[in-house]
Amino acid sequence: MSAAQQAAALAPARAKQRAISPSRGGRPWTFYLLATLFTFYVVALYGPMICIYILSFQDVRGGLVFPMKGLSLHWFVDLFTQVRTGDVKGAFDRSIKLAILVTIITVVVSFMAAMAFRRRFPGDNVVFSLMIGSLVAPGLVLGIGVGLLFNALGIDTSWYGSALGAQLSWTLPFGVLVMFAVMSRFNPAWEEAARDLGATPWQIIRLVIIPVLAPGLVAVALFGFTLSYDEFARTLQTAGPQNTLPLEIWSMTLNVTSPSLYALGTVTTIISFIIIGTALGAIVLMQKRRGARVGGH
Amino acid sequence: MTVSRPLVGWLYISPLMLVLIPFFVLPILVVLVASVFETDGFGGLIPTFTLANYRNVLTSALTFNLYYETVKFTVLTWFFTLILGFFIAYFLVFHVRNPLLAIGLFLICTVPFWTSNIIRMISWIPLLGKEGLINSALLRIGLIHEPLTFLLYSSFAVVVAYVHQLTIFMIVPIFNSMARIDKRVVEAAVDAGASRFDIMRLIVVPLSKSGIALGSIFVASIVMGDFFVTKVMSGGSSASVVGAFYEDISVLQYPSAAASAVVLTVILLAMVSLILRTVDIRKEITQ
Amino acid sequence: MAVSRGDIELAGLSKSYDGVHSVVHGINLKIPDGAYCCFLGPSGCGKTTILRMIAGHEDPTDGEIVIGGENVVGLAPVQRGTAMMFQSYALFPHLSVRDNIAFALRVRGLSKADRYRQTDAMIEKVRLTELADRLPAQLSGGQQQRVALARAAITEPRVLLLDEPLSALDEQLRVQMRLELQRMQRELGITFVHVTHSQLEAIALADMVVVMEAGQIKQAGPAREVYASPRDRYVAEFLGGQNVLSGKVETIEGGRLMFAQPDRKTLAAPLRGNARIGVGDRIDVAVRRDDIELLRPDAEISPQDRSALSSRVLAIEYQGSFVKVMLDAIADEEFVAYVPERVFFRDPLVIGDVVLATWAIDHARLLERT
Repeated sequence: MSAAQQAAALAPARAKQRAISPSRGGRPWTFYLLATLFTFYVVALYGPMICIYILSFQDVRGGLVFPMKGLSLHWFVDLFTQVRTGDVKGAFDRSIKLAILVTIITVVVSFMAAMAFRRRFPGDNVVFSLMIGSLVAPGLVLGIGVGLLFNALGIDTSWYGSALGAQLSWTLPFGVLVMFAVMSRFNPAWEEAARDLGATPWQIIRLVIIPVLAPGLVAVALFGFTLSYDEFARTLQTAGPQNTLPLEIWSMTLNVTSPSLYALGTVTTIISFIIIGTALGAIVLMQKRRGARVGGH
Repeated sequence: MTVSRPLVGWLYISPLMLVLIPFFVLPILVVLVASVFETDGFGGLIPTFTLANYRNVLTSALTFNLYYETVKFTVLTWFFTLILGFFIAYFLVFHVRNPLLAIGLFLICTVPFWTSNIIRMISWIPLLGKEGLINSALLRIGLIHEPLTFLLYSSFAVVVAYVHQLTIFMIVPIFNSMARIDKRVVEAAVDAGASRFDIMRLIVVPLSKSGIALGSIFVASIVMGDFFVTKVMSGGSSASVVGAFYEDISVLQYPSAAASAVVLTVILLAMVSLILRTVDIRKEITQ
Repeated sequence: MAVSRGDIELAGLSKSYDGVHSVVHGINLKIPDGAYCCFLGPSGCGKTTILRMIAGHEDPTDGEIVIGGENVVGLAPVQRGTAMMFQSYALFPHLSVRDNIAFALRVRGLSKADRYRQTDAMIEKVRLTELADRLPAQLSGGQQQRVALARAAITEPRVLLLDEPLSALDEQLRVQMRLELQRMQRELGITFVHVTHSQLEAIALADMVVVMEAGQIKQAGPAREVYASPRDRYVAEFLGGQNVLSGKVETIEGGRLMFAQPDRKTLAAPLRGNARIGVGDRIDVAVRRDDIELLRPDAEISPQDRSALSSRVLAIEYQGSFVKVMLDAIADEEFVAYVPERVFFRDPLVIGDVVLATWAIDHARLLERT
């Protein structure tokens, strides 16, 4: 048998040994294949967004496609000053206020619901099904339902009323699901130990459960904020006379054909990144203060 | 202590119910009621009981077409997001050796989720358009002589936008369940002589079933409940069930819109409960 | 006798989770003040449930728990004057060593200065002063155990309840921590109730060992009594160190009975107070493994004083101070001799050797049958 044949005979066996064994030897061919796929995905994920961020910095001659024409902040100024782009500033303002409201309510209510779900209680399956139903129901249908309901009850729809509720019907199930995952890492013995040491139920929540779960609660807050800040379908029929930002963007996509649309994209993305950065920073800070794996042993 | 437990549970859950009842249960009931009313043609509703709205919805060829389009986009999106999501999660969990790097790459995948969906969708326009980057690049290297028109305002663009938005909903839950697979189980399978394909088929896929199910629920329900992407990215050439619903609403045809919404919701809920029957998601998340 | 504050009495204590199957069946037990009591049994025998009922983390279905003369059933844990050390310690991950230990004082509303003064004294006692600002994740297993101990002790309980306190540690540390527990118990002078599945741990630590099986107490008493004089086959086998032979009584005379195992030689055992045994009864007899002497087959013995069985060596394990020799075809279960190291190596046996296993008839013990 020639050396080449021998090598060929050995190859499959060796490949088999290496199959996803995480810490030994060279990388299997699948690594390179999947790494290529991953790179492709990330490029496709970020590429288009980066394009519009770049295009938003064109000057007055700018159009919707490349090549880039000039370099200025013209379209940002245009965005906040032109009548035809609508009340962007007001929409920003409302969206942020609404998102903060939604965040606070989502964190508190999801936390309480997750506390309830730690033990079985009569009707827990019904509540869970309702929650899943609320999560998957078509947003626009739900929004119309809320609108008709408010109409029938004689209440005016508004971003701080009907839209707030409609958004919560979407952010809360999400928040509770995230809380489930967070809670699964909570050791019930901590609670028992606190009770054993004389803590009252409220002290247990304040001194043990909330501080231990704090990073998870920040994650829920991040979900609440961004889901609300970006919510469209449920808000469309419930926001009342004053638009939120996604509704503003939606109307712009239908009638604005200038790079101010892209400028708006750039601005909202910057805000999103500030929020993500703050939240991740808070989580990292908390984990660091908790100092996992510092004293090596 | 034992006696008051259900009470404590209800107390904790009551705020959630205070949101779900007025903003999910009642609105759905309102839509259900509206679906059996008649319209007066001016946006008002005449309280009666009629199934005519359902008859109209279920017998029209238009409805069939709408559902066909919606299901087509749902299936295509589901398929591509599943393939991408599964292999990306698989890559991150089983091929990236440094756990910190894996988490970093995972975060890179999730960051766009926190930014505006609409902006992410329109960001394809300067790429896919007639004078967009892809067409001009292909023209320049001489691969084509006329701009490709199927890239934008087409079914292709719709699917691209959906996959772009929704793959994250597959990656996160699948990554989660894969990360929980004990690496020693995989090593044991390697020891037993399993090939890479065997491992994936017999170990990784069954053990990430709950993540796949959860991701499928998210993707399918979002695509079926959406009208925006279809409307913008197909340039009006494709319709969707919810899009038609929206058109009906804007011409004040509440009852027929409501009937079609009820049909859609029933289909969605049936699909979700079918998926939920195969895996106990609640147990999977909480354990 | 006056009731001391750390006396524990369990009366008819039962627990059932579903109303049908009970995990604890009507336990009666008295633990004297200041005792070190170990509940010993396999997992699922109900020992942890008893501990949690004493602590107040679970309510009994029936029966009373009396601590220091007061029935504590229905009281909150903190009102009972008990403190619990949890399995794997359950240290609060977000609090430093000092704040973990000070937790009980904090929830009682003590000012920061007051609680740190008390805490620092306790930290010194468990020798954690340099680690006071660390978080639990930065401590070794043994250090975590000391924090857990200090956190429970700071409430000045009359009873300390320990749920498998050593199971999270490796072998060497376990031996070290056993000493630490003993020292703490002497220093605090309070009742310790310790749950474990390790007989080694139980007999090393306890003044009083309570052996449990399936929700019932099999035997309770001083460590030596339980180890050397097991009441029945279960206790003898669970504590180890005993070989159990069973057979049918053939004759009874002169304070001795003769019994035979099917197809095996008839053996003698002393009759001790068990007057109700008659000919034809099935009995269990225990013989301590270190009472067995192994002789070469041609050795002479006196059949009046000693029993002898011929056997073959199945396996040999060197244990350091003694050698464990497993023998074939003597009992239904394994039959083992512990031979002192020096004795063994005077004439070493090898696997397959035929030997005569002999023991003094008076050292055999008749067990109760249940």
